[in-house]
Amino acid sequence: MGEVTGVFQRRIVIGAVFCVAAFALVGLRLVDVTLLRGGGHAGFEDRAIIARADLVDRNGKLLARDLPVKDLYARPHEFWDKDEAAHDLSQATGADEGRLRSGFANAKHPYVLIARQITPATEAKVMHLGLPGLEFEPSAKRYYPDGRAAAQLLGVTDPDNNGVSGLELGLQDRIRASEDGEPVTTSIDMRVQYILASEIAAQRQTFGPRAAGGLVMDVRTGEVLAMASLPDFDPNARDLTGDDTTRNIMAQDVYELGSVFKIFSFALAFEDHTTHMDEVFNIGQGYKIGKYTIHEAERMPATLAARDILAQSSNIGTAQIALRSGGVRQKQFLTRMGLLTPIKTELPEQRKTIYPANWGAIETATIGFGQGISVSPLRFLASAAAIVNGGREIIPTFVKTDADRRGAQVIKPETSEQMRGLLRYVVTNGTGRNANVEGYDVGGKTGSAQVPGEHGRYIPHALRTSFFAAFPIENPRYVMFVLLDQPHGTKATGGFALAGYTAAPLAGRVISRIAPLLGVPNTAPPTRLAQGNS
Amino acid sequence: MIRVLNFFSVALMGLSILALYHVSERTRVTQMQLAKVNHQIRDTRATIGVLETEWAHVAGPARIQQLAEAHGMTNTVSAQLSSFELLPRRGDAPLNNSPLRNASAEAPSAAPAVRPTLFAQPISDQTGF
Repeated sequence: MGEVTGVFQRRIVIGAVFCVAAFALVGLRLVDVTLLRGGGHAGFEDRAIIARADLVDRNGKLLARDLPVKDLYARPHEFWDKDEAAHDLSQATGADEGRLRSGFANAKHPYVLIARQITPATEAKVMHLGLPGLEFEPSAKRYYPDGRAAAQLLGVTDPDNNGVSGLELGLQDRIRASEDGEPVTTSIDMRVQYILASEIAAQRQTFGPRAAGGLVMDVRTGEVLAMASLPDFDPNARDLTGDDTTRNIMAQDVYELGSVFKIFSFALAFEDHTTHMDEVFNIGQGYKIGKYTIHEAERMPATLAARDILAQSSNIGTAQIALRSGGVRQKQFLTRMGLLTPIKTELPEQRKTIYPANWGAIETATIGFGQGISVSPLRFLASAAAIVNGGREIIPTFVKTDADRRGAQVIKPETSEQMRGLLRYVVTNGTGRNANVEGYDVGGKTGSAQVPGEHGRYIPHALRTSFFAAFPIENPRYVMFVLLDQPHGTKATGGFALAGYTAAPLAGRVISRIAPLLGVPNTAPPTRLAQGNS
Repeated sequence: MIRVLNFFSVALMGLSILALYHVSERTRVTQMQLAKVNHQIRDTRATIGVLETEWAHVAGPARIQQLAEAHGMTNTVSAQLSSFELLPRRGDAPLNNSPLRNASAEAPSAAPAVRPTLFAQPISDQTGF
């Protein structure tokens, strides 16, 4: 009897142990579900199909966004009639019928891609067909609300949503790493971008250059506020039409910029005290260096003071000033200004500066006035900004920043001040008069460069005109560069296509529109202000 | 006593099973509801995203300029007389020789104001999105 009781007791104990273990398991599971994994699934739903963060301008305006679309796939073995399905799907989606037929006939492929990034309307059409074996895969299509206005600058993505050009490629890591849908804020000011692009387009209509472009940059932060390149393209369309191009001439191309480059020769001369503002130079009819003779683009007086050499853009005068520094010092100075090395920014498009391997006397003279050396406009503007910003190196950036990013001192602050005065003189008394804007104290320099042809010879009568501007010149905050590739003179300009007639007024118009937007105070007397900007 | 305890344990276990099943079912239903709500959130966010994009498109400078010109407005003279940073604080020195000297200037004569016509229907109805 006692043994039976013992057996029962053991069984009861075993049962109790099982019960306790079961309760313990349930309890542990409850703790696991309620405490440890609480909220673990929160937020999983959101960004499943959004692969790239938004791009916005410096004021938060949307520049690029992934829109939800769908990719359509088919399982051909589920079709009753593959040829009919191929025909119907081709009609509904615009896909190539031949491709679909061959894809459906190939038994090796269980899935066939019908069409990418289909719209809700196309999806409805496909659904209406009532075909079995179709799958809609959520996907995303990159959309650019402002279309062409910043096409080359923003770049595009491929069908797999990978950046292939512009900031879409350059900021790819930031765009992909962005969490919680935080947008990537660029330095672009879309208002400035639009004004720059539309004024360049208007000037292109007037003077018919092959290409044209412009840049606006903050000289302290290095932020590029606008970068336009024409012809452009529609980033929302996959195909290019007409003379559309994805090429960003302001970053991808290098040019002999001509007289606008003279600012570096003068900066070097003032830095080394090889000349002063009022020193008078003989200009004459031509300046011989060995077997070469340097000529002026326009008729010049017999003598010119140094300040007027820049204001009237004398090649002969500038060549003499450059030769005083010598080739070695000139090359050293241009290297220090960063002009001989490619510029590294977030923009992947860049091009190396082209300069002569043999830097002799004639090269020193021609480089002094901007021929014989080819730089990208972005590279030029960054170096020119250092001339007016107190003499400190500045690397452009396409990401918004508030920090003063000026780096090493490349020229003395006094030289920078002298150059600012001289650039203002060019606009008030020289070739840059058409860039003057009442109250904004624009300083700048024109450039009318000869254009090399296919065999290295300059094309007769072809010019590449440009204008470098800084405003307000007393203490510049912004610099600008515009370029017109082979403009043609008009009746209004007397047939002239020089920079003073083509690029300078363009710069003036852009500044008159963007300066108030950028908060630059107008210093003009009220009576003049009321008459409007020039 | 042991029988009572046994019975009580088994009954408690049965009740626990029922309660656990109930909790499990409620969890399943709640998860379904959560998935549905998440789906709605995703759809709504997608719609908001599309509408924001659409707004960015229709409120872009190019379109505004087009509308302004259609309503007879032209580029008018604009001038920034001063900036917020340059405004003197209360108790600062008088304005003599300060950069604010032109702030009392008469504003450039503006073009007659034209009241733009507002969209009569939601923007989303006017586009293909």
